[in-house]
Amino acid sequence: MNLRYFDWVWHVRGSIELVPGQSRDEAFARLEPVFEQTGTSHDRNGDTLRFSKKDPAAQDPLAIFNTGTLRIENDAAALLLRYHLISRSLLACFLAPLLFLGAAQLTIALNKLDKPVASKDAEAKKKPDKIIVLHPIDKALGAPEPDKPKKKDAKEKDDSSDEKPKPTPAYVFAGIFAALYVIGRLLEAWLVQRLFRKQLAGA
Amino acid sequence: MTYDAAGEFVYALGSIGHRGGKMDGVRVGKRMIGTQAPVTLGWDNIPRVEGGPFKQFFFTWFQPVMLVALVAFWYYAPNSIAKASTAIGIGIGFRVLLLGLEWVNPRYKSWQLTWKECATDLFYVGLGYTFLRLVDHYIGDGAMIEAVQNGFDWDKLAWFTGLPLLVQAFAISFIFDFGQYWMHRAMHNWYPLWLPHSVHHYITQFNINKGAVGNPVELFLIGLGIGGFFDFLPRAALLAGAIGLAVGSYMHINVRFNTPRWWRFMFNTTEHHSVHHSQDFEATRSNYAGIYIFIDRIFGTCVDGEAELLGLDGGRRMSIAEQMAHPFTEGWKTIRERFGRPVGLPAE
Repeated sequence: MNLRYFDWVWHVRGSIELVPGQSRDEAFARLEPVFEQTGTSHDRNGDTLRFSKKDPAAQDPLAIFNTGTLRIENDAAALLLRYHLISRSLLACFLAPLLFLGAAQLTIALNKLDKPVASKDAEAKKKPDKIIVLHPIDKALGAPEPDKPKKKDAKEKDDSSDEKPKPTPAYVFAGIFAALYVIGRLLEAWLVQRLFRKQLAGA
Repeated sequence: MTYDAAGEFVYALGSIGHRGGKMDGVRVGKRMIGTQAPVTLGWDNIPRVEGGPFKQFFFTWFQPVMLVALVAFWYYAPNSIAKASTAIGIGIGFRVLLLGLEWVNPRYKSWQLTWKECATDLFYVGLGYTFLRLVDHYIGDGAMIEAVQNGFDWDKLAWFTGLPLLVQAFAISFIFDFGQYWMHRAMHNWYPLWLPHSVHHYITQFNINKGAVGNPVELFLIGLGIGGFFDFLPRAALLAGAIGLAVGSYMHINVRFNTPRWWRFMFNTTEHHSVHHSQDFEATRSNYAGIYIFIDRIFGTCVDGEAELLGLDGGRRMSIAEQMAHPFTEGWKTIRERFGRPVGLPAE
């Protein structure tokens, strides 16, 4: 199976045409400050620059990437910077919805196992529901009276699932991470291209 | 404004100069704050909101107005609306609003939210709503208190329901925060508890959801409380939640506010909490409360000020994988150092 068909999930590739007249050395000299960050090591070998990061700072503009290669090639017309960056953060974000879907399934499974205790129901029957009265200050200030305790019918009694954890938040977070992945994959690819372009232009 | 050794308020100078690589620091009571990393001390030394009159007005009054509005809403909302599901909706909406404020008026540019920071924080928020909630359901404080009550045939302390609503709400949040203060302080003073809590101190910037970041063991421990022993009106619990939302949400926020003096005397603020998270060791041993900073004032652990450089190990950012394993790997290392067989030097 060829990994290239789906490695775009966590691999970011791109290319930028160098400013006419700009040499390889000038281009790398302008790009190198980007890699002078905490936890980043880089080395240049001819037309290629490789970098790797460990625990990059939060504000490192390439913080989501773990390793990467930048190569300046001779294109037909001008020199071309090709980059190939690898991000475990993007991969983790891509897989995160599975984790939360797993949490939803676990919640459902535990709810099925967690049967209500019969004695608890019997105990609840013994104790009459108290009628709660508001404090006179709250009455004077106009706070709504608490609801009077309802008599639970058989249907309501069966529906003891109200107190059980629900799988809904897990589904919501699965959705949030699916959206986050799409945003991150597009945003970070755009930001890295903008960063390299700015550096090369010397802005 | 800080307490001196005699328990009086003093304005400490915020100037912290370098001298041979070590900083001078400022004396607060019996300790020197800011000898290892910069910490600004004293309210008068903290920058104020910059910008036009509307911006000044907005960021001066936002916190008190939101507190009053949320309390008034939960006090008067009809029973059909005053439900936990409404509270969840308001909580999410409020956090989204605060995220917007981080964008508009950040306290520090160096704390700006990035995609990676946002994803990391939301991962922990997600853990809290799913796996942690499951664990809490089975072995959390609620389950433990119910077991104790059933074991000893205790009923809940029901007389609380007769108190005025706002007194009940304050009692709920104060009882929880008082417990949290001591749990948090214990975490900074007892190594087995520090191990799980230390992970939270590896955060290097503040953003609205950073409070959720930490090792799950710590997040479970800090969530324990004894409030379940008491019986409260459901509306009082919702009001307590509103106080927590309208005060506690600012602990890890990256927004510059002109917080009123009465507020910062009573409540925890992002300024207080940034001191607690600073890279200066002495500064971290302060401001343990979550909501009511006056608890710190009572017990002499309050330091009024703020810090920009946060974290441990000189501000090293920890990956999620390391955050999960850190308490266990560090604990194992310590056990081996203390009890392990000494390795003999090879003969030359």
